Amino acid sequence: MGLTIDQSEHDAKIRIAVRGEVDLYTSPDLRAVVMKAVPAAPAGVEVDLSGVDYMDSSGVATLVEGFKSARENSKTFVLVTPSPSVMKVLELARLDAVFEIDKTP
Amino acid sequence: MADDFRLEVRSDPRLLRCIRNLVRGWLEACELEREATDEMVLAIDEACSNAIRHSYGGECDRFVELTLRADHDVVEVRLCDQGEPCPPEHRVRRELQAPDPDRLKPGGLGVQLMHRAFDEVEFCPDRTMGNCVIMRRRR
Repeated sequence: MGLTIDQSEHDAKIRIAVRGEVDLYTSPDLRAVVMKAVPAAPAGVEVDLSGVDYMDSSGVATLVEGFKSARENSKTFVLVTPSPSVMKVLELARLDAVFEIDKTP
Repeated sequence: MADDFRLEVRSDPRLLRCIRNLVRGWLEACELEREATDEMVLAIDEACSNAIRHSYGGECDRFVELTLRADHDVVEVRLCDQGEPCPPEHRVRRELQAPDPDRLKPGGLGVQLMHRAFDEVEFCPDRTMGNCVIMRRRR
């Protein structure tokens, strides 16, 4: 299994739940979902990363694109409960302080 | 120091996961710590992704050659391709700092993650074609 992406809506937000490994092969699928969700969501987007076992820089770049698009459209863009491996790559990239991260389980 | 693996892998992003699994297995057999293993798996994945994306421009029918070796003092990884030489500015190590959200750029992270995981990242400059990067981490 590579990557599974589920979407749901609540409180004017679109929640994207990601499971599996995000790399050069799978990140285009995530990018397509994120970049469609940001303009479509009335208030903002939440990306649930608790089930992501691995993320490379193309996955990080996808999150950066979503974050930038949300800022430009005055929407929120929140990373929800990133897994330890996602937190690690965000820290290595010095982006852990840039994203809004909700660590509440 | 003898090579443990010399692998030729087709430049298909679908195969990156297999490369990661193999590299992880090898690093675990070398009895490296989990955190060091995770960082090096990521860095090697980034090097392979760069070869596929930039050297081969996304062509999936070329090959990258990965060589893995280790002794008591150092882990050494070599990755070679036969594609377009990467521009010098793509090789430069930048000191990563928390960026200004307004100036955030999505790309250019891969090489920085390679530098974070390895003590030395050496791009061999004297090749007539292709690229070769050697990464070393002291144990």
